[in-house]
Amino acid sequence: MTHAPAAAAINPGEAMREISDLGKRLAEGAKLFGEIKDEDVAIATTPKDEVWREDKVTLYRYRPLAETKVNTPVLIVYGLIGRYTMADLQEDRSLVRNLLRLGVDLYVIDWGNPSRADRWLTIDDYVDDYLAGAVAAISRRHGIDRVSLLGICEGGVFTTCYAALHPDTVKNMVLTITPIDFHGDKEQERLGHGFINLWTRSLTPEDIDRLIEAHGTLPGEFMGSVFSMMTPMRTMMKYNLDMLEVMDDKKKFLNFLRMEKWIADRPHHPGEAAKQWLKDLYQDNKLVRSEFVLGGRKVELKNITAPVLNVFAKDDHIIPPATSQALRGKIGTGDYTELALPGGHVGVFVGGKSQGLLGSGIAQWLAERP
Amino acid sequence: MAEMDPFESMRTLASLWGEGGNAFLTSQQGMFRDMAEKMRAASEGGAAAQGAAADTAGFEAARRAFGELWSSATEVSASLSKAMQGSSPSDPLVAEMLGKIFDPKAWFSGTNDLDEALQKMAEGPRLSDLWNVERKFLAVFNAWVALRRRTLENNTVTLDAWTRAAGAFAKELNGRAEKAEKLDSWREMLALWVETANTTLLETQRSEAFLKTQRETLKASTDLRLAQRELAEYYSEMFGYPTRAELDDVHKTVTELRRELRALKRERRAEAPAAPAARPAARKRRSGKRQEATP
Repeated sequence: MTHAPAAAAINPGEAMREISDLGKRLAEGAKLFGEIKDEDVAIATTPKDEVWREDKVTLYRYRPLAETKVNTPVLIVYGLIGRYTMADLQEDRSLVRNLLRLGVDLYVIDWGNPSRADRWLTIDDYVDDYLAGAVAAISRRHGIDRVSLLGICEGGVFTTCYAALHPDTVKNMVLTITPIDFHGDKEQERLGHGFINLWTRSLTPEDIDRLIEAHGTLPGEFMGSVFSMMTPMRTMMKYNLDMLEVMDDKKKFLNFLRMEKWIADRPHHPGEAAKQWLKDLYQDNKLVRSEFVLGGRKVELKNITAPVLNVFAKDDHIIPPATSQALRGKIGTGDYTELALPGGHVGVFVGGKSQGLLGSGIAQWLAERP
Repeated sequence: MAEMDPFESMRTLASLWGEGGNAFLTSQQGMFRDMAEKMRAASEGGAAAQGAAADTAGFEAARRAFGELWSSATEVSASLSKAMQGSSPSDPLVAEMLGKIFDPKAWFSGTNDLDEALQKMAEGPRLSDLWNVERKFLAVFNAWVALRRRTLENNTVTLDAWTRAAGAFAKELNGRAEKAEKLDSWREMLALWVETANTTLLETQRSEAFLKTQRETLKASTDLRLAQRELAEYYSEMFGYPTRAELDDVHKTVTELRRELRALKRERRAEAPAAPAARPAARKRRSGKRQEATP
């Protein structure tokens, strides 16, 4: 039974002062909102040039910001959930800029905007065709046999699969916030962590098949809703309390809006690839057991021979650390390093605490493996 | 701000809370009445309507369960608002904001916006258009009713969590009051509410009941979408337009042809003599095909 709260629980004088502060913030925030232009919240602004394209997939090369210190070019591989622009959110919160400033020759692959017409694309296509095509294009440009890969989240899974299927073309492999053991969330059950793993397992394979049959894709807004469910109170608060907190500070307010812009830009996930992602990986956990099949070949983790840097976020509620750390001991190289960083799934890329650590950690590790 | 009544906003909050609850319940009742009338009209259409009419029993049960829990929640609201009388700050905007924070409806529009996304994805024709081709339309209607039912069931689980969170919150405040511990600020009070509510919500989301009703909602949304597609295909065929199934087939063929094309290009490249090292490729092709360019 509910107990009614006592009437005098709040200090009225302090409450009065706080309410007055909130009113001022609202007034200042409203003024600021009116002054903001679209270019003020532009994201992914680091200059880059298109160097290769296949269907909707585009390969870009970033223009250098410093003298090259890491000889082997690095290809950033994001996933199909969300967009690579998260790695270059804004000038002072950008893994891309940090790596460029540290002398890394950097490429990024953009999967474009898959629509229902792309329903039949599979992870096989993305790994064996598009990613392989991008790596080959970079290799041709530089006259080299091997390229370093930097996978992010689902892109890390693509990278892992690629490195296992095409080991002779990979110089180094950096994984960030990448799930390998999709049932690893059971190892350390933290409240609010690993909900997507649990939620996906609560569905039947037929539920997923019918979802894709009905929509043709895994709709971007659908995945956005699932992510919102993982931080329920924050989702409810962010457009009132959270925004209010930063409304009178232009820099913080613009940071907030840029993040919202990235969140809103959520492409649809091609349907057949989504089935593989949800059924083969999230439900059946085939990757960690080396039973995932692409292009008729098993993705054997022990075939990965390139040095591996595995970066994870200690408070990642979407990809719990244990799901990433499961890679240890399963690959065919002893050169395996883990880098645990403070922050959550996105915070590790854009948060203040990890800003310096992520870029410098990766650049230094790469420099030691020229 | 000089004219501010420090207790006004909490009264407004309590008022908003109660009014919001009543409005929500009233709108639910209105919707049920509307549906009942439409079901009666459907039943007059013949045998095909029988199945549709039968499906509303489950919906009615879900509605009743939700309604009972909602009444309980509004009692909690009334109790809380009564206790808060005479101890609150003022500012209409802030009061409205606080009202939203404590409003149980927010738990459906915020955490449960998955349902909203599902419904947005699934909803197509309006109800008033439904009664021309009975069998197909009734299949759509059945699926629509099922989706509402599943959504209500999921909302019931969420509302139960809200009631528990509100109870825990009130208990914590009472505990502090008994120990003569004042909360220093509204921020501290909100932090306590957020922490209490977040824990309860996250625990609920991991419960079997929540996951089951979420899954049923997803299935119902999918069923509705597929039933709508069947109806759309009926008209597409009637008027000579391509159906969704035909388009999917075409897209599949295009995807397979592109796959073959990429494979052929790879083979051709593998057979070609190696290009000189470090020479940027210069060829360009039309957009949508493989293309290489230099910065």
